[in-house]
Parts: sequence; C-alpha cells; structure tokens
Amino acid sequence: MPVVRTLLSQLSRAIGRQSALSELRWMQQALSNPPPGISPACRSLDEMVARRVRGEPLQYILGSQPFGPLDLAVRPPVLIPRPETEDWTLRLADSLTPSPATPFRTLDLCTGTGCIPLLLCHLWPLGSTHATAIDISPDAIQLATENATRCGISTQAHAHASTHPENTFTPILADLMHPDFAQQARLEPPYDLITSNPPYIPQAEYDALPASVKDHEDIRALLGDTPSPLANDVPAQDRAKGLTFYHRIAALVGEHGLLRAGGTLALEVGQGQAHEVAAIVQAKAGVDKIDVWKDPWGKERVVVARR
Amino acid sequence: MFRPAFRQLRLSRAFATTRTAFAQAHIPRQATHSLKVEDAPIIQYVKRRVEERRRLQSEVSDDALSDEDIQKVRKIRELEPLQDAWTEWKHAKQSLEETLPLLSDSDPTMRSMAEEEYASLSESMNRMVEETFPSLLVPTSDTAHLSAIIELRAGVGGSESALFTADLVRMYTRAAQAQGWTVTMLASNTLETGGMRDAIMEIKGKGVYDALRWESGVHRVQRVPATEASGRVHTSTVSAMVLPLIEEKASNSADEELFTMDEVKIEVMRSRGAGGQHVNKTESAVRLTHIPTGITVSMQDERSQHQNRRRAFQVLRGRLMDRKLNQEMIDRRDLRRNLVRSADRSEKIRTYNYAQDRVTDHRLGMSVKNLNSVMEGDGLQEFLKALQQRYHDDLLEDVLSERSDSER
Repeated sequence: MPVVRTLLSQLSRAIGRQSALSELRWMQQALSNPPPGISPACRSLDEMVARRVRGEPLQYILGSQPFGPLDLAVRPPVLIPRPETEDWTLRLADSLTPSPATPFRTLDLCTGTGCIPLLLCHLWPLGSTHATAIDISPDAIQLATENATRCGISTQAHAHASTHPENTFTPILADLMHPDFAQQARLEPPYDLITSNPPYIPQAEYDALPASVKDHEDIRALLGDTPSPLANDVPAQDRAKGLTFYHRIAALVGEHGLLRAGGTLALEVGQGQAHEVAAIVQAKAGVDKIDVWKDPWGKERVVVARR
Repeated sequence: MFRPAFRQLRLSRAFATTRTAFAQAHIPRQATHSLKVEDAPIIQYVKRRVEERRRLQSEVSDDALSDEDIQKVRKIRELEPLQDAWTEWKHAKQSLEETLPLLSDSDPTMRSMAEEEYASLSESMNRMVEETFPSLLVPTSDTAHLSAIIELRAGVGGSESALFTADLVRMYTRAAQAQGWTVTMLASNTLETGGMRDAIMEIKGKGVYDALRWESGVHRVQRVPATEASGRVHTSTVSAMVLPLIEEKASNSADEELFTMDEVKIEVMRSRGAGGQHVNKTESAVRLTHIPTGITVSMQDERSQHQNRRRAFQVLRGRLMDRKLNQEMIDRRDLRRNLVRSADRSEKIRTYNYAQDRVTDHRLGMSVKNLNSVMEGDGLQEFLKALQQRYHDDLLEDVLSERSDSER
C-alpha cells in the first residue's frame, strides 16, 4: 500500500488527484484483468505510472480502449478512439436498420483502429453489412485487422456466407489524397453508408495541442491542413482551417458516385467546423438532407447527410 | 375387527411423511395441539375457499359457457391445488380420529402401532398447516426473477464507518458467492486511510432480490476501531439500499412504466475544451437526473462513457422500481390494514457487536452468536432466511385478514 500511495501522489502531481485515483485503478485492472487478448504495454504499475507521468496517453499504456461494448487494442501512433466518436457511432447504428435481406455496403475512410466500422459490424445483425475500411498508415491497417479478429468479425467474405450470414470487415491500405485513390483502394461504389473521422485540426491549433496528443498520436490522423497536390483544390478561404479532407471526400463522393441514392454520409468534424463542412458536402457531394449532431458535451460534432 | 381400520391408516401414510420419531411421552401434548390446529384461522380460511369452489362448480352450466362462467371455471381451476391439499388434510384428520381410541387399547402391540401412527399423522398435519397451505395461499413473488444492486454508504462514525462499509462489501460478496451468485463491483470510493466511503455492487442470480431486499436500512457496528489507541468501543453506522436489478433485455417494456427518456437529463462531467481529436484524456463520468423525482445517479468508475451510462441507467431503473414496489406495499397496507412492513430506510435494522461477538437483527429480535460467521457470509444466511420467512408470514396474514374483512 505505501508503494501505491507514492505512485498515487506522483500521478496526482501530473494529472490531478481525481484523475489519478481513477487512472491508477484502471492501471491495476489492466494488469490483473486485461480485456481478453489485449496485454498492457507494461509489466508493472511503477512502469505504467512512470510513463504516464512523462505524458504518454493512458490508453497506449493500458493497450486498450473501450468503444461501445467493444474493447479495442490501441498502439502508438494510431489515433486513440474518442468518446465523441463512440457516441455518434452508437447513435448512427441505432438510426439505420440494415438487414440480411438488404445488407449495407459500408465505407469508412481514415479508419485508424477500425473503431467505427467494427462497432457497426458488432451491433448490426449478422449478414447485414460488409464494411471496407481504409487508412494511409500500415500501422493502422495492421491494428484494425487485429481488432477485427479480436472482435470476432471476419476480415474476408466466406464462400458459405449464404448459409452462415456474417458481417465482414475489409481493411485496405490506400492514400485518400492520391489522385488514383479510387483505383488504389479498389472501391466498388455505390455504398449505402460512408463514414469518416478524418484529420481535422488546423495547423495553428495543432501547434498548440497537449503533448499527450501531439507527441504520441500520428500527425496524419490529426492535422487537417495536409500538403498534397490535391490541396490546391481547396478554395483559398478554406485553407489553414483543417478542411482539406472534407473537400477531398466530398469531391470523391460527387465525382465517383460513391453514395447510393438514399445512402448516408456521416463525417466527424472539429469544433466550429460543422457549418463549413455542411456547405462543402452540399456543394460537392450531391447530397441534400443535411443534419448536424451534437456530442455529449454539447459541441456540433457530426455532419450527417443523405443523398 | 381392527384390521380394516388399520389398513386405512396404512394407506393414509402413503402421502404422509415416513418420519415417526415422536416419543411416547409427547403424545398427549401432540393430541391437544392437533385438535387446536383444526381451529386455526388458516384451516377455517382454506375450508371457506374449498366451499366457495364447490359452490362455483354447482353454478357453472354444463353447456354454453358465458363470460361469467369462464371466469368461474378459471377460479375453479386455480383453487384445484388447494382442494387437493384439503382432501389430503381431511383424510389425515379422519385417520387421526380413528386412531384416537386405539391409543388406550388393551393390546400393547396395537397400542404401540397406534402411537406410531398418531405421531406420524400429527406431524404431517402440522406440516400442512405450517407449509403446504401457506405456500398455496400466498401469491408467488413478482420479483422472484430479479437480481439486485446493493448500495452501501458510510454513515455516522467517520473512518471507522468507512472500514465497516468495506467489511459489509466483503460479507455480501462472500454470502453471494456461497449461493453461486455472481458479484460485480459497479462503483466504489476507496479511502486512502482504508475502507470505502461508498460502494455499489451488482449481484446476479435467481431469487437474489427477494433474498436480499430486507437488507435495506441502517447497519450499526459497535467495536474498538483498529485506529483507536485508547481501546474505547465506538458506534458507527452504514446505510444499505437494495435495489431490484432489471436486465437490459427485459428493460424496454419495464422502462415504459418507470420513466420516459424525456424525463431523464444526461450530463457529462467537466469540460473537454475542443474535444474530439484535440483531447485524449479520459472523461467518462456521467450523471443522470430523473426530473420528476429528483433522483440523481453518478457513475465514473468505467473508462467508457457508454458503460458508465449503461450502469447509471441500471441504478436509476433500480431506484425507480424500488420506489414503485415500496409504494405498492404501502398502498396494500393502507388498503387492507395489514401488517406487511414497508422498508423504512432510516430504520436501524441490525447491530454488529464485536465485543459481545453477537449480531442482532432488531426487526426479528433475533441474535446470532459468532459474529465472524456472519461476516464470513454463512451466518448471514440465517438472517436472510428468517427475514424472507417473516415477509412470507406477513403476506399470509394479509391474505387471511383480507378474507375476514370482506366477510364482515
């Protein structure tokens, strides 16, 4: 107990007493009783606290993050799933009703850990969705594939799918900003549902991020002002606002007919971006009915559009 | 010439217990007791119900059944097990009366057979009065399928009260595990000085709520705290609240009665600044407020906000269900002026006296020596059983008094 008390006071100095109490308990849980198939990145409580005090995110130290009813493995530098994303994905899963008779083809761009499509695959009835998940990072694709296996979701369509209906998850490594993206990603439009939590942080805000985010999580999952040949397509007034990926996604949806008529496009956005993103998808993606959903903290967080 | 009578006695034993451990000296007391038993209110009540059934049978027409007839047929069918038990009772009673003269028979063999027979018949008749009839009369529990949530809160007594809260957590955990129930700690506030400020435990299994519901109330401990240098005995309290646990699968229909989502305000704790990708700090605490009742539930023990929310709703459902059940009990008491006791949560229900190695339940007026066996869970079973029995007896009394009211 004295050891724990010392660790607690070290941790309290770093992150505050209330958080320290909770996080220390979660560390102990991760050591004694980790989620099945996920081992923490550390062997001892001392090591965990030492790493946390140095500013590493708790989730990387524990090696996992709950996402709805799922426990996902997380590893640096793949973006840690956020509670805002969890909240809207659960809401989205509730608001749509695919079935084995009318299964959804789902496309998730910038998938990271695979959290969004994996949760949909988990929540929807067996045989009601086939998800394709794309990311530019080999680390992310590797992790998403592991997570699918751990969650019991098949990563390849089986021949006997007609007798044993299942939801499938296909991870693909591809660069959304590449001019030949549609071909590179072997897209097969149209999709019934397109989801994305693309990098949306403007450069100026990125520079001011807390160290636990900036020093540990992939810049390619965070920075929305990315230098790329296609960035020139972004109108001058939208530059440096973290909106590059929305212009690209909206253009792809519009030009390649990615979204089936009646399909749904759901894009997570950063603080204050919802209206600009709504305008972008309205102008370029050929969608009409546009909603903005708030997150549990009252921030406009998701632009949901229907074609 | 006694043989036919004896054959009948033998037959009657086929449905009576085979235990005949009554000593000869007990027979006169048994005899008076059995006769008294026939005047017991419960026997009078069963007799009336059986007569009512016979009357209904005579009223139901043979051919076309009206709605009224269907009601009557249903009633007749409901009363069938009681009728069967009554037939058995009358049979035993008749055999007993036939045995009575044989007890003073001149033949010693005959006398000893009669004594054996008499003891066995009395015993089976007593069992019918004490067990068979009550179990047929008391309605089966609506809450038999429910698991439970136990909320414990340290009360008077500072850190000693927190230590005892942790002791009670252990006691309920051990008792539950001994029953094959599963225990999950939903939330707890552990103090650095040892013990817990509060704890919420989920206990799942068959009949858990019915077994534990009478644990609600104030538990008092009297002992010398580990931290007390002078060796003085302190008195501290912990309050317990046992809530029914409604499984999520079954909750959709139950929720409609308990609350609507419009009535629940869901708040997340603290501000996240920009939130989203900007922040990777875990902010999972959730608070629910049920606006009509002002009940609030906070959960922060899980890393996932989704899990905290799910558990908070489980506790909220439990609290609202608890209110509902308690209100129903009060209404029933007012309506039938019966004796069923509603759980008063501020009532001191039990004292754990370490110095005297004794636990006393104030409602039962019952003490268990060997405090350790209670704290280890085994001794607690005695209280749980006695409290369930008391409730059952209250319900039976309720049934009997209801009938005599309506007949007055």
